[in-house]
Amino acid sequence: MKRALILLAAALVSGCATRAPEPGTSVAEARFDTLVVPGRTTRAELLAAFGPTKTVKFDSGMEAWLYASPAAAGRRTELVLLLDRDGIVRKLRKRPPYPTDPAR
Amino acid sequence: MLATLVGAVLPAHAQTAPDAPGKPAPAKDIQTVTVTSTRDPVDKSYRKMIRGMERFAREHALAPQATLRFRLLPRTPTVDMHGITLRVLGDHIAVPVAVAPDNSFVLPRNDQALQEDAAVVANRKTTSMTWRAQVVTPGLPPGTRRLGDLRLECLVGMEAGLVSNSSPLFGWISNALTSPEQVCNSPDGNFLFFTERPVFSVTLRAGERTEILPFRFLYAGGEQTRDMLPFCDCQVLLDRTYYVPIWDRSWPDDTLVSFEYMDDAHTDATSPQETTP
Repeated sequence: MKRALILLAAALVSGCATRAPEPGTSVAEARFDTLVVPGRTTRAELLAAFGPTKTVKFDSGMEAWLYASPAAAGRRTELVLLLDRDGIVRKLRKRPPYPTDPAR
Repeated sequence: MLATLVGAVLPAHAQTAPDAPGKPAPAKDIQTVTVTSTRDPVDKSYRKMIRGMERFAREHALAPQATLRFRLLPRTPTVDMHGITLRVLGDHIAVPVAVAPDNSFVLPRNDQALQEDAAVVANRKTTSMTWRAQVVTPGLPPGTRRLGDLRLECLVGMEAGLVSNSSPLFGWISNALTSPEQVCNSPDGNFLFFTERPVFSVTLRAGERTEILPFRFLYAGGEQTRDMLPFCDCQVLLDRTYYVPIWDRSWPDDTLVSFEYMDDAHTDATSPQETTP
């Protein structure tokens, strides 16, 4: 019984983050660069162009969206968007792959 | 799952209940005790927090110029974080603790409180807040943190028992599973840090080496569902939550951690000139 409790609790505690995250929908970076403009691009346009992807919604109404584009050596570039309460892209950042990143 | 576990644990407690409500207990079982204050079983342990301070002293080389404070942060949506008062409460002692406007404080040393296994008690429901160690090296560039300071915050925070558990019922279990070394020296340690404002990007910089942290280092991994959030002490701080690779010794203690916040003026980060992939 105690062992079962420990296993259950471990699963719950580690629920704070150990599962492998979803990678984000893969997109072509050149197309992404053409279509996404902070201050103008909307949620609907993102969905129409690239489809749904991994998102995190906050109590403030803001949302963070993660897309990814393939890069060399099986790695990928992260394309992260911040959408405001009105569903407009406010910020965009790219994270290039680093040599220390695990290959996928 | 929680309901199952709670259901499994509660009957064991119920078996120790003396008699049915309303039925007088036998006179021979009555004992007289003096209770001058009541303590919540999940209040912070004064002894543990002092152990955290001793850990800070032992590991000061991680942050030689830094000082240690503790800090209260909101855990539930409705908690009022203004006008918080703190006391160290033992059986026969109550020591007030000054709380700064940013809800940080220094814990005084008191031998009697140690002997009485006192608790550190706020005038808020204990589970409405989360607690952290705050280790800050003076003179850093504005808005940056230092990795060695964060390493020490993790060690002190874990040693002091500050991280809120999902439920008081899990306290004994999670403590058994999570020593400071296990948490702070492992990529799976999952020790959460919080920024001052909602964060959009975190960058590490050490000499010529610069890296933007991956998305999975933000927002508690981005894996929290609405149902899971109440069991994470990032519940109302999700947009301020980040991990930093304190376990990765290829980043020296002097590594600077900088932040781009959600409300910063827009910067087109499509050309990360600062990176050296």
